[in-house]
Amino acid sequence: MIPKHAIEKYGTLFAGLVLFAFLMVFAENFASTANLLNVLKQVSFLMVLSIGFTFALIASELDLSFANVCSLSAVVIGSLMQAAYPWPLAVSAGLAMGLFAGLLNGYLVTYLKVPSLISTLGTASVANGLAFMITGGVAFVGRWDPDFLFLGRGKIGPVPVIILFTLAIVALSFFLSTQTKTGIHLQATGENEEAARRSGINTRKSKILGLALSGLAAGLTAVFLVANLSSAAPQMAGDFLLNGIAATLLGMTMFTPAKPNILGTIVGALIIVVLSNGLVLLGAQYYIQDIMLGIIIVASVAVSASVLKRAAFAL
Amino acid sequence: MNRFKTLMGAAAVLGAALISGQAAAFDLGIVAFQMSAETHARCSNTAEARAKEFGWDTQVLNSNGSLQTHAEQIENLIQKKVDGMVLCMSKPVQFDAQFQDAKDAGIPVITISSGSSPHTLFDVQPNEFVVGAEAAVYLLGTIDFEGGILAQRFESNAGARIRGIMLDVVLAENPTVTVVGSHSMARTKSWQDDVRNGMSALILQKAGQYKGIWASFDGQAFIIDDLLIESGMKKGDVSLVSIDGGQEVFRRIKSPDSMMTATVAVPLEDMATAAVDSMKAIAVDGKKKEEMVAGPYLFKPAILVDANNVDQYLN
Repeated sequence: MIPKHAIEKYGTLFAGLVLFAFLMVFAENFASTANLLNVLKQVSFLMVLSIGFTFALIASELDLSFANVCSLSAVVIGSLMQAAYPWPLAVSAGLAMGLFAGLLNGYLVTYLKVPSLISTLGTASVANGLAFMITGGVAFVGRWDPDFLFLGRGKIGPVPVIILFTLAIVALSFFLSTQTKTGIHLQATGENEEAARRSGINTRKSKILGLALSGLAAGLTAVFLVANLSSAAPQMAGDFLLNGIAATLLGMTMFTPAKPNILGTIVGALIIVVLSNGLVLLGAQYYIQDIMLGIIIVASVAVSASVLKRAAFAL
Repeated sequence: MNRFKTLMGAAAVLGAALISGQAAAFDLGIVAFQMSAETHARCSNTAEARAKEFGWDTQVLNSNGSLQTHAEQIENLIQKKVDGMVLCMSKPVQFDAQFQDAKDAGIPVITISSGSSPHTLFDVQPNEFVVGAEAAVYLLGTIDFEGGILAQRFESNAGARIRGIMLDVVLAENPTVTVVGSHSMARTKSWQDDVRNGMSALILQKAGQYKGIWASFDGQAFIIDDLLIESGMKKGDVSLVSIDGGQEVFRRIKSPDSMMTATVAVPLEDMATAAVDSMKAIAVDGKKKEEMVAGPYLFKPAILVDANNVDQYLN
């Protein structure tokens, strides 16, 4: 008899492992080294973006701007690459753009007391408008500096370099959220802001940090996206909004149930991308992918709804 | 235990059902960039139907208008080791790395209305420059090369942008025609709203100043047509010309209530059929690519359809 708390903590992980085993048996080529590396490369973008969203949610703030901020950062990078600026400058500008948007969200939420649901929707709209203003709607496309493209397309041996970057980001994020005082303060702020404040935690700082990390992750993802596709378009990260939220919500169904956590988000992102890859290898038609993603979102929201509601409607 | 057995049994049945389609027949992967656009759907559906006539296994995937998703769909099909790929409205520079991987894996790729790439066999397209020029010259002819027009553009899509460029070229040679109002569609996911909002404002603001309206694709023209009907206009009050073709635009050209005057019908069905036929000739029958198509493009001429010949095309 499996204890109830074990099912609550590891049920989704077990389901993910069953999915993995199922695909290993039934989907030809799924377990090949090339495909597993392909999956890890594909999940990198979603994982980095979702980790950022998770940091905001840990501080009990909902960042709905991350996808549009990512697109805006991408466009900033693309515009500088197109204008033949050195790629380190373009990358720095993209990261700065993401960080600035995150800090702006933090300021709106903590100083102007605008609920994050509203403020980040506003930021998302502004970011979208700016991205179109910079591009005029036309994507930046070019055969840019190979050193820059290496960040998204490069390989060390058979391993895409983006996987190594993502592993480093994952390790750093996990360490920050669980092993540092800053991470503990973030969690305390998210769980009970008033109690955290009374115990001496600077909750305003924690909330700003959570949202700033979300913006920074959007900037990082933009670097990888632009380098991978050698282009930058005003809505190039639009699809990540739903998948990013889904990965985080799925993560909230495991390890520390109903609480956003980095490890859960990582597994959540993996499940989504493995499912997407597996369905293609199984020969499923395109609409099946959307249906399956929808089912996952509904199921994970059903489990983690209480925390999401708290984040969405906190005034 | 019984429940576990039932679950495993169901998984095995599902797996068997899913892999039952993975026979030894030629396996064709078809990817539409954005299935919600009628032209993309017509393209991929026709390619699928043609491939099924040959008894091939086909899998249609949708990239939802996302560059990264499109890259991932191609990567997943490479891992699936499909025998060939047909891509509807792809992009050559952005997916350079994926096309190179497909080529390295020995997978032939034919694109439709995408632009040529050194890593694909060829691109099937109507030659957007010719199509754009034909629509523009026709529109100006219907207003006797004099007066004002409204223009509904779409800069984010290469084909639609070229059509707009050709409108400008034709206008440059006919300075007696002026663009009194122009709206550029920015959003791709909620484009219908975007066009409706932009053009309803122009139609009201510029009332009486224009005799013709140019739209970069038929979907935009349908929205404009509905706005003109709502504003009380009658057939012949204004000339509405667009590009793409299909039964809905033919029905409107025929209808006594619609302002739709003409379209340049892009033979998407012919293009998709030619792509699959060429794939069969090259990948199955062993013909050389050069025997099928000399250069990087296989051009399929578009046909101007107006009241004079619409009956030939209306089902």
